[in-house]
Amino acid sequence: MGARTAGELDLDLDKLFAARLLAVRTRPYLATALFALHVVESRRVPTMAVDRHWRCYVSPVFVNRTPVEELAGVWVHEVSHLLRDHHGRGDRVARERGLTGPGARLLMNIAADCEINDDVFGDGLVMPEGAVTPDSLGLTSGELMEDYLRRIGLGSGMQHLAWLDCGSGADGLDREWDLGSDGAHGLSAQQQDAVRFRVAQAVKGRPGSTPKGWKRWAEEAFHPPQPWRELLGAAVRSAASASGAGEDYSYGRPSRRSAGVPGAVLPSLRRRPPRVTVIVDTSGSVSDAELGGALLEVAAISRAVGGRRDLVTVMSCDAAARTVHPLCRAEDIPLVGGGGTDLRTGFSRALRTAPRPDVIVVLTDGQTAWPDDRPPCRTVVGLFPRDGSRGGSWVENDPDYEPDTPPDWARVVTIG
Amino acid sequence: MLLSSPSPAQLDVADELLALLRDSTTEPRPDDQLEALTLAVAADLPVLLWGEPGIGKTAALTQLAESLDLPLTTVIASVHEPSDFSGLPVIGDDPAEQGVPMAPPDWAVRLVKAGRGLLFLDELSTAPPAVQAALLRLVLERRVGALRLPAGVRIVAAANPRASAADGWELSPPLANRFVHLQWTHDHEVVVRGLGGTWPRATLPVLDPERLPHAVDHARRAVCGLLATRPTLVHRLPSGETRRGGAWPSPRSWEMSLRLIAFATAAGSSREVISLLVRGTVGDGPGLELLASLDRMDLPDPETLLADPAGAELPERGDLRQAALDGVVAAVGARPEKSRWDAAWALLARAVETGAPDLVVVPATTLAALRRAEWDVPPTIERLAGAVSMSRRADEAAALVANAPVAR
Repeated sequence: MGARTAGELDLDLDKLFAARLLAVRTRPYLATALFALHVVESRRVPTMAVDRHWRCYVSPVFVNRTPVEELAGVWVHEVSHLLRDHHGRGDRVARERGLTGPGARLLMNIAADCEINDDVFGDGLVMPEGAVTPDSLGLTSGELMEDYLRRIGLGSGMQHLAWLDCGSGADGLDREWDLGSDGAHGLSAQQQDAVRFRVAQAVKGRPGSTPKGWKRWAEEAFHPPQPWRELLGAAVRSAASASGAGEDYSYGRPSRRSAGVPGAVLPSLRRRPPRVTVIVDTSGSVSDAELGGALLEVAAISRAVGGRRDLVTVMSCDAAARTVHPLCRAEDIPLVGGGGTDLRTGFSRALRTAPRPDVIVVLTDGQTAWPDDRPPCRTVVGLFPRDGSRGGSWVENDPDYEPDTPPDWARVVTIG
Repeated sequence: MLLSSPSPAQLDVADELLALLRDSTTEPRPDDQLEALTLAVAADLPVLLWGEPGIGKTAALTQLAESLDLPLTTVIASVHEPSDFSGLPVIGDDPAEQGVPMAPPDWAVRLVKAGRGLLFLDELSTAPPAVQAALLRLVLERRVGALRLPAGVRIVAAANPRASAADGWELSPPLANRFVHLQWTHDHEVVVRGLGGTWPRATLPVLDPERLPHAVDHARRAVCGLLATRPTLVHRLPSGETRRGGAWPSPRSWEMSLRLIAFATAAGSSREVISLLVRGTVGDGPGLELLASLDRMDLPDPETLLADPAGAELPERGDLRQAALDGVVAAVGARPEKSRWDAAWALLARAVETGAPDLVVVPATTLAALRRAEWDVPPTIERLAGAVSMSRRADEAAALVANAPVAR
């Protein structure tokens, strides 16, 4: 830190720690993370900044001129950057979209600030002076840093934000004041994970008052949601290529190697393309775009695992015919059946066809009865969540209402 | 000028160029994932490396085999047939009398003859299901046809993540539970530096014979300490599509976890390495809970702190320090005596003087509430005045926020 000349301010640690205490009192679930930050006095940061090793750089002048209640907000804001891994995500975005230079990183900092500021304040915590919110940029709140980053550009009207700097912990760009990975009091990646885990547990343990953004973060901190296309693809692919279907060894034809081992019966590789039947059952709550996307996805996957178009069959219920008919015509898929909203009739109809399908894929919103017995083929369920029933089924007018959940013999992928 | 056929001199020049390209140096560099792999292999647990093709899994295995002084046998699963792993039937003179022996392939015979070696089963995910099934028997039962691989042979398998796998390779939960899952990623910096001519050379962990009893004791205390208080963690089948095919907790995987912690402790490995191993064995959530309980085991014992408040060594990190102080206050609450209460105040005073005072406020409030009517307030409490005024300052700010107009 070097020798101080007369007239330079000392860092008012009492004020800074009083603010942290206030932050801990209003947001008890963040206590572990707030206390894990190591304070470093720095005259080169404009306000407060964090680095990727959980050090918090503090400007004495900033602490001096900012009231305790606003400082508490800044503490929570800075620790949010670290908990939400903005530096790691910033690096990933930069790599994916080819963003370089400090200008892009400043935008990332602003986008990350938007993600934090839209729901972290209030309820005992004051928003610091000059904090940037999605509203102030004309954006809708409640989105992620990556989404905001797409919307904003360094045009006019953003220049006044150029003073803003939350450090390398917020956008991944190393600053000259950073102590780096060799410096003292840094947290290793595992220690950071441990702190995140403790905070996530604390958030999950507190029903009710926790802001939605934190709840979402706690849910996804260690299990980021996967795109449904990948999950559905993996489920259908594994169902279609599992033994009994698809490419596998069979004794139906002599092996190429039989000549080498006379007298022995060896299996040979045979291709038996899987038959896939798609049962579409919607009660009108599913958008055509979603349904079309899912249906095309299933068709593409069954082709990828060696299926032919004539082996993909679609059975529809009346409500969905509007989408399903043209799609099947365009894709050259035979459309069978129709009518009946009870999924059980769909199953029995699909199983009556000869030869029997290897895989049944059901696209449904789940508001239906399911067969009691496991069907004699692999089943994948693509489940469209109904409006308002995300995160567990619950109907406002009838709290006791509980639709049947898909049975455990089916592999369930939530779509959308 | 092009020659119709390259003269020997031309090929010599080409060799020279190749030699120059091959000429690279190494530099020591800590490598957590390689260290984790080494420990898992040393602990004789089946390892499954998940990673995109072409990111240096084979190179890592080569280095590992060298450092463990084991001959490396690589078997590309996707170019084999199931009978290569389950044995080729060889019909003798009288099959009804002698049976049909299942002859093993040459690499297996060589491995058994050598008695030791590192078997690397590459590209598990692109093999047809029947081959995968035969391979799993090899990995889990160590059998190739009629042969049984000797104990000195260690097995590592590699698979592509299912998002990039061409067909649906995926482990069923019982199989997934038998593996240590290690995610293999490449380090951008290492690749760039390596292509520039300097590859990393990892210093691999060495088990310290003197630490073995301590390591076993430490690992048992860590796992048993957690599972005693969290019985629901013992067995939890993975639910939901996102977590399929990965690690999940069961008595078997906890036992693997225990073994790996003992190995890592005996080798003096970092918490990062333990984290990779534990999370790769019992999954992220239970793994992180175990790591948190390891953190708590590292905290100073409350009774030791109470015995000598003046000389107490408190953790530097704020959250750990508060956890240690909370532990002390809880210990006083469990056995309230005047002398212990006084010692706890002295300890809090010491904490205020050696670190951030705000994290003493909550333990101090709890400790004050433990006071009995006949106990006099010790003079040490004055040393906490700073923390008290800080708490008041935070209260005032909170009141200001509460009374301020809502709109800003």
